[in-house]
Order: sequence, then C-alpha cells, then structure tokens
Amino acid sequence: MDRNQLTKWFKAPTKMAHKYSLHAVYFCTGCGVIEIPPTITARWDAERFGVIPAATPRHANLFLITGYVSVKTLRAVIRTYEQMPEPKFTVGFGSCPINGGMYWDSYNTINQLDKYIPIDGWIAGCMPRPEAIFVAVTHLWTLIDKDMADGYKRYRKHYAQYRANQEQVLGELEWPPLFQSEREG
Amino acid sequence: MRILWLVLSPLIALAVGLFFLGLSRRVMARIHWRYGPPLYQPLIEIFRYFTQKGSSHGVLFGLGIVLSLAGSIVVILFLPFGGICSMSGSGGMLVVLYMMLLAPLGIALSGGEAANPNASIGISRKLMLALGYELPFLLIVLAIMTHYDTISLVDIVSAQRETASAFASFPLVLSGIAYLLILPAMLGMRPFEVVHAPQEISSGPIAEYSGPYLGLVTIQHALTTFIGISLFVNLVWGGAGNPFVFFLKMLVVLAFGLFVNAAFPRLRVEQAVRYLWRWPTLIAFVGLILVVTLGR
Amino acid sequence: MNDSPMNGQLKKKLDSVFRDIETDVSDDGRLTIHATKESVLTVLSLLKDEGWSFLQLVSCVDWIKQDEIEIVYVLSSYVGVEDGPDAKGEPYAKGEPDAKRESILLKTRLPRSEPSVLTAIHVFANAEPYEREIHELFGVHFEGHPRLTPLFLDREYKIPPFRKDFDTEQYVKDVFDSVPPIDEES
Repeated sequence: MDRNQLTKWFKAPTKMAHKYSLHAVYFCTGCGVIEIPPTITARWDAERFGVIPAATPRHANLFLITGYVSVKTLRAVIRTYEQMPEPKFTVGFGSCPINGGMYWDSYNTINQLDKYIPIDGWIAGCMPRPEAIFVAVTHLWTLIDKDMADGYKRYRKHYAQYRANQEQVLGELEWPPLFQSEREG
Repeated sequence: MRILWLVLSPLIALAVGLFFLGLSRRVMARIHWRYGPPLYQPLIEIFRYFTQKGSSHGVLFGLGIVLSLAGSIVVILFLPFGGICSMSGSGGMLVVLYMMLLAPLGIALSGGEAANPNASIGISRKLMLALGYELPFLLIVLAIMTHYDTISLVDIVSAQRETASAFASFPLVLSGIAYLLILPAMLGMRPFEVVHAPQEISSGPIAEYSGPYLGLVTIQHALTTFIGISLFVNLVWGGAGNPFVFFLKMLVVLAFGLFVNAAFPRLRVEQAVRYLWRWPTLIAFVGLILVVTLGR
Repeated sequence: MNDSPMNGQLKKKLDSVFRDIETDVSDDGRLTIHATKESVLTVLSLLKDEGWSFLQLVSCVDWIKQDEIEIVYVLSSYVGVEDGPDAKGEPYAKGEPDAKRESILLKTRLPRSEPSVLTAIHVFANAEPYEREIHELFGVHFEGHPRLTPLFLDREYKIPPFRKDFDTEQYVKDVFDSVPPIDEES
C-alpha cells in the first residue's frame, strides 16, 4: 500500500484518490453477497483500505457482482452500472458471472457477464473467501496505476455492441441509450 | 486583519470539520473493534468526487448546494471561534438562527430537483426532525438570551467566561441539559440518523448526487458538523479564550456525540419527534421559566 | 405408528363422504389423499373445517411418462386437530404429544396437454403466489385466479421451463451462448 508516499500523490493525485476510495455499490445478487458483511465489518475491516459500501450507485465507483446474474437481475445490473459516475470499476465475484458456474445450463441465468457490461477483473471460486476481495482490490490498484482498469472507456467505445447484446437477451430496453453518438456511428 | 479572518475562518472551519469527519470514522471503527480508515480519508474521497464525472439534474440542483454552502459559510462568519469572530455584530444570535435554516433548505431544494423518491422521503424526514428539535432549541436560546440580557453571541460568550460555563450558573443548568439531549438530533447522528439512513432510504436527500456535487455536499456536511458543535460550545460551555482550548472543547463534544452514535440504534422519525417534543422541550421550558422568574 | 388414531378417523370420514377419492396412510403415519380434479376444492374445504387450517405449500410434479401433471397441496395445522373447528384455535398445551402436528398431502392429476384446475384462493388465500408460480413454471391454468401474470421470469418461454421436456442445455445454447462476445479490435 503506497497511500502514505507523498511523491506518488504529487505525481498522479487522481489515480491515488481513485485507488484509495473505492466505494462499492450495495448491490446484492446471488449467494456471494454473504461474503460482503464479514469483509466490511470487524473481522476483515475493508474500510482501512478505503473500501466501503455506498448506498447508491451515484456515490460509488466499484461494482462487485457477487454471484449468478439472472435475466431479471441483468436488467438491474446494467441500469446500476450506467448510473455510476465515471471512472468506475467492475469486478465479477465468484465463478457464476465468469462462465455460468453451477448454473451453466439454467434457463434463466446468463453465462458470461462480460458480454453485457465491461469487467475489469474476476475473482474465481465458489465461494471466494473475503481475503480474495482484498487480493482483487490490490490487483485493481495495480491496474489503476497502469491505466489498465479501463472498462468504462471500453464501454463507451464499444457501446453499440454492448447495447446490441443487451437487447438480444433482454428484448426491448425501456431506457434510452447512454451514449447517443457512438450508437449512430 | 478583519478581512484576513473573514477569509480564514471558513477555511479553518472546513479543516476542522473534515478532521472531525475523519476522526469520527476512526473512532467509530475503534468502537467496532476495527482499525478504520486514515484520518485524511475524507480528503481522499472529496478529491475523488471532484475528479469524477458528475451528472446534473437541472439548474436548481447545482444552485441549491451553493445556497446551502453559502448559508453555512455565513453562519460560520458569525460564530466566535475562541476569541476570533469575524462578524461580531450585535444581532449575532438572530442571524445565526435565521441563516442556519438555509443549509437544509438548499439541500432540500436541490435534492427535490432530482425527483428521486428516496430523496423526497429524506427531505420530509429532515423537515420533520427540524420541526422536532427547533422548538426546544428556540426555548434554550431564548432562555440563554434572557439570562444574559443580550442577543450577541460574543457577549454571551464573554458573560459566560466569568462562570466558565452555563452549567455553572444555576438557572441555565436545565437549558444546558436540554441542549445536550437534542445535540445528536442537530448533528444528525444516531439515534436521529433518519435523514440519511443509508440502509433504509439509500442516503436520503443526497441519493442523486454524483461527482463534484457529492464533493460539495460532503464539504457542506463537514461545515454543518462544525457549526453544530461550535454553537453548543459557544452557547452553553462558555466558548474559549483562544482557538486551541475551543478546539479541545469541540473534541469533547464530538466524542460525546460519537459515543451516543455508537450506542444507539436508529429511531423512527415519529419516535424521534415524540422524544424531542417531550423531554428536551419540557426541560427547556422549565429552564426558561426559571430564568424568567429568578432573573440574573 | 402405522395408522395413527387421528388419521384413521379422518380416513374413515373421508372415505364415507367422498366416492371419487383414494386415501392411504404411509408407514410413518402420513395421510395421502388422491382426489379428482373436480373434488379437490371440496376436499380442501372439508379438511380446513376439520382443523387442517394451514396450507403449507402448493407444489407440482410433471409425470411425463404418464402424460399427467400432479398438483400437490400440503396441509398442516397449528392447533389440536382432534378438537375440531370448535376448539377456537387453541395452540397445543404443554405436554401434549406433538404427534398430532402432522401434514396431509392432497394430490390431484391433470392431463398434460391442457392442465387446468379451479383456484384454491377462496379456501386458502395464501395459495395465490404458489399458483402463480406453478402457472409460470409449469403452465398450469388456475381458473378464477385474479392475476396469472409473470412472477419470477423476465422472458417468454415456448415450453414452461420446469416441464420435463424443456431442454435447458439446448435453450442455453440457443439464447445465451448465441450472444457474441464483444469484439475489442473493431
């Protein structure tokens, strides 16, 4: 943790500020969310690294998708993701968002989340331990340092593709496209 | 010199308020048996908010926060901070009472513009809560102003300097106790955390703020915390001769608020109003009658 | 345990009242009633009057080989059953044997092609969400149900997804796997 190195703060203050105030959305999907309470409370205390849950997507910049995503949840996931202010980071938690996990042949659960929203990193496992969240956070710090946590930029760039995929599964979306110009172009 | 203080006192208030925010998170963490974030965590967060891309919900959305910030800054100019008071007019207390309403009003205006149902619930709760604590607060202020026969905050502070605090001069004891009882409500801490209640109405009025707007709201929150605590120290704990002692007194009051915050769960808004209108109002009213009948 | 007194009594009563039902008591004393589609509601209300006043759940089984769909009502009681409806809902007193607190299964079979049965809402109001769910997942129509609208699912399925002939693997291949991955190069 380089939070106390003043030179880094002078060199890249924005990156440092984003690294050490990762606020995660209160968004509970699937079973992985049961790992979040011990992570943010006394046992593991994520707040010492600046990771706290934020009550609304507008305050947050980290989106932990904790478990399987059903078609109905996908709608909410996309809406929540689009409401978060940029820059924002997404982490898929558990094996279900990666490839479907144990719900690989479910009639109602999407298999690969990164076809619908951009993901910056994955935590594999079913279930990953709370320590895995810390490992993911430190990896995310490295990615932010190297400008590689660019999911929100990819979303903007390939928005037409993402939107087409979302519409393919969800049918007609009831909200207008987030980026109008890219969709036409 | 006076111009210098006019510029400096909001900055000092901001620094102290942000320090209080960081300290309160740290203290709460220690009470929870955690380590907690570093003291400068609010600064990191505010910096992050200002570098994010916010989304506006109309002109009033931005103007409301500015109004609220302006109200808070004007109040700070009228509050003595341990011997330093930038604007020590004779009408000090009345201006403070009047201007203190601007801060919640501005947030209500801009939060209402966002048209989020959670924000509307939060605003109505805030107004209900304000209705609850304004009544005892006005009774307390009336008792104090009657007792010292002045409406100037500076005069109140210097009159209290003789007895060290209002608690020490007999007729004001009850007013002081009543103020202590409504202090968590004025600071918006638990058990009166109904306005923001993140688990319940997702941060209430500030649900729709993002990016720089949220940064301004956090600054406003820091200023409000400063105002609430420093008003208490000035009105019933005799202010202080120099800023350092004043700061120490504020720390003690903050610690009191934090312990109450850590120990109690959240009340419902009607329970909160019922509490505020019963015991603190009763005590403040008896205190006012005592002050009026006994005189100085 | 076989043929506990209370179930024996109830079995006798049911057998004497209804002609078109079959009753049998399993080894652990649980009463199972097989009723026809027409008599389900009557049996349900009779059981309710007998004190079995709590509908635990409504379930559904797809018997694909027999080309039938089975609706299962699971009933139990909070109060002493033997005392009947006049007991004013008194809970068990201390020391009373718990053996009375058993559940009854009421089963009915419907044709698989167009399954339809009268709704049980008028007897047990809490049947509403169960019936909605069964309608959604098994495609059983409940006559007289006020709102058979989608409850859990977000999309339309040609075959209701809990039926045995619904091929989930093929469905996932067709719907979710056909979504193309994002082409980052373009």
